[in-house]
Amino acid sequence: MRTGRLTGSMVGIIVLTLTAAGCGLSGGSGDSDSTAGGCTVDKGNVGSGKLTGEVKGKITFQTTNLKKDFGSFFNGVIKSFEKAHPGTSVKWIDDPGDSTFTQRNVADAQACTLPDVINLNSETATALTKAGYLLNLGVKDPSAAKPFVPAFWKSSTFKDASGSALHTVLPWYTGGIVLTYNTDLLKKAGIDPAKPPTTVFGLFADYEKIAKSAKGKYFATMANPIWRIPADFDQMNIKTLSSDGKSAVFADDPRTTQWVAWMAKLYKEGAMPKDSLSSSNDPSTPYTQGKVAYGSTNPSYVRFVKQNSPSIYAKTAVGQQPFDALGHTTGAPQYISVAATSKHAPVALAFAEYLTNAENQTAWCKDPDVVIFPTTTTSLNDPFFQKVSGTDQFAQARKLVADQLKTTTAYQTNLSPAVQNAIVSQVQLAMQGKKSPAQAVKDAQAKANELLKQAG
Amino acid sequence: MVATQTAKPVTVPGAEAVVSAPGTARIRRLARAVLPGPAPGANGAALYRRWWLPWLWTAPAIVCAAVFGVFPFLNTVLLSFTNAKPLGGAANFVGLSNYTRMLDDSDFWLATRNSVLYAVIVVPLMVLLPLLLAVLVEKNLPGIGFFRSAFYTPVLASSVVVGLSWQWLLADDGLVNTWLEKAHLIRSAIPFLSDSWLILLSAMGLTLWKGLGWYMVFYLAALGNVPKELHEAASMDGAGAARRFWHITVPGVRQAMMLVGTLTGIGSLRVFTEIYMLGSSTGGPGGADRTLPFYIRDVGLDPITGNAGYGSAVSVALFVLTLGLTLLAQRLTKEDES
Repeated sequence: MRTGRLTGSMVGIIVLTLTAAGCGLSGGSGDSDSTAGGCTVDKGNVGSGKLTGEVKGKITFQTTNLKKDFGSFFNGVIKSFEKAHPGTSVKWIDDPGDSTFTQRNVADAQACTLPDVINLNSETATALTKAGYLLNLGVKDPSAAKPFVPAFWKSSTFKDASGSALHTVLPWYTGGIVLTYNTDLLKKAGIDPAKPPTTVFGLFADYEKIAKSAKGKYFATMANPIWRIPADFDQMNIKTLSSDGKSAVFADDPRTTQWVAWMAKLYKEGAMPKDSLSSSNDPSTPYTQGKVAYGSTNPSYVRFVKQNSPSIYAKTAVGQQPFDALGHTTGAPQYISVAATSKHAPVALAFAEYLTNAENQTAWCKDPDVVIFPTTTTSLNDPFFQKVSGTDQFAQARKLVADQLKTTTAYQTNLSPAVQNAIVSQVQLAMQGKKSPAQAVKDAQAKANELLKQAG
Repeated sequence: MVATQTAKPVTVPGAEAVVSAPGTARIRRLARAVLPGPAPGANGAALYRRWWLPWLWTAPAIVCAAVFGVFPFLNTVLLSFTNAKPLGGAANFVGLSNYTRMLDDSDFWLATRNSVLYAVIVVPLMVLLPLLLAVLVEKNLPGIGFFRSAFYTPVLASSVVVGLSWQWLLADDGLVNTWLEKAHLIRSAIPFLSDSWLILLSAMGLTLWKGLGWYMVFYLAALGNVPKELHEAASMDGAGAARRFWHITVPGVRQAMMLVGTLTGIGSLRVFTEIYMLGSSTGGPGGADRTLPFYIRDVGLDPITGNAGYGSAVSVALFVLTLGLTLLAQRLTKEDES
């Protein structure tokens, strides 16, 4: 009798578990026509047609690590939005933005609990767009493009599951990119600091000169290629992925092998610290110690040097990032998106557009504690960004980036972390001399394709 | 005798109104049926023999185990037969194809080799070294508390902080290489952070260093149960410290060693943070230091290109490996005991 009950109980538990597992396998609930990702949503949030509805209700707004420094600014923006739209309420939450940011937001999306308005980076936006969790802003508000720099808006797209490019994000703030270097170390290598190279290979040639003059006492840059892939490929106009993003094509361009050969040569000749091949790729600290000639490419880094190492700051200069074959810079800004699962999508969309409008972007980017740049045309035409006063390197960096942003695009190739790691791994093997550059590029493409294929 | 007495209602001042309230009798009947209270005329011992009572007490634990253990495990097994994606969506049944892919996947075998190697090297050291440490700090000497605390401190530090400290120690211009160079023991820096074998060994060192204090506490508790009289008698018979350690201490803490071995074995096969901290997101140059959990992250959990089905198949393989090694260790211990 007892055995029978035990068996019955166990069978019950297993059946319940398997049933629940079956539900999990179905990839979400609901057989309604209106679904986004695996969630049932309001019909107006998906499909064609402009989003309509009353701007009334409570929404949640998530930023990434901004509350600590900019609490008063965002509270002011929220307050003024609520005042301008009676009957609305915005609850602000702040994600720490750590290494599990994408996984955390993906989990929220799967649970149909994404915040209504969300601050995303390109990696997370890529994942959420592909799975259909973000509002298609190009369709839901055809006038959304108006305030933004045309090149930025045009390039701020992500692909859905079928490979079609969608405007699921509003470009928000961006940092730009500049070369930061120690003029003393460059002069010792016979490089004119006033004439920064205009190509990636030109920059590599300068690294080589530094390695020869340094003789192991200091280095040109860091070895881990993870921050150069696919940034350098983009700058050189090497296509990393096919137009539908479903296969890797970088090996088809002979310049990729040349690029890997350069990296291998530079590593071998001592232009990079040997122990940085698969560890830290951040030159911030070694630069301030005078151990590497080129610092971080983030313009705000100049301020870091000024505050933390005045002696190195005195030798620091900034120059334009090599435009190479692309002719301008690329750089994914921070984005603002609206969740397709929002219960109050009209409020969420109105708030997203209010937050990213020229007035609010200009106000925030003028904050003396911020080294960021706006993405709206009106903001960039503001004298604050156009008439840079001062001769210090920080002012120069601001000027260089403001010039870049007139033509810059967000067309940065979005590689998944796994694909990026697969390519980087093969380049590392070439840098160690364990593979020829040609073989490493071939293998890297094969590994990347294997991962892209399994993604479907 | 108490068990045979019929329970009498306890009179509480002011309770009459509650007892006589409408519906109270029904509630009491219901409570009597559900709760293990004594039924009128019921024998207390018989009451506690009700078949569902143990299930009732263990229900919270069973529910937790089912939700957080059994369900995820069974779901993982089911997913391993599909091509599910981390972001959900339709998942198709693909039969054994994930498992056949695994057999031909050189990266999977590399990760398996690293995980097994990790367990094979770390487990014996983690079983033995904390025991030696515990024997050292067991004695009540002046200032011994400081050493006990010092050995335990790495346990309290976060893995990320420890990993960063080890990066600094093992860098080409780090403390270890600088000392070795100043002592004229080496001419050029040892590539702890750029050679894949040295990264793996350094990660093992990190695991050992961080775990020593934790398992030392296990052994300190176990050593308290080893009779002091045995040591005294052996000393009087002329046994030295080493002999007493092998013939008295080790047999006395055998159960604790078994436990430490099992826990360390499972932990070693699940290692991720140490490899990530020393070998970065690629898992060492060329991904040569990736362990099975690292590989599962790469192939199964990537939100854009991940295949949760294949990742689940690798997870099942990791489970089988863990179970196999644990059973093997148990069997070897039993054979040794017999």
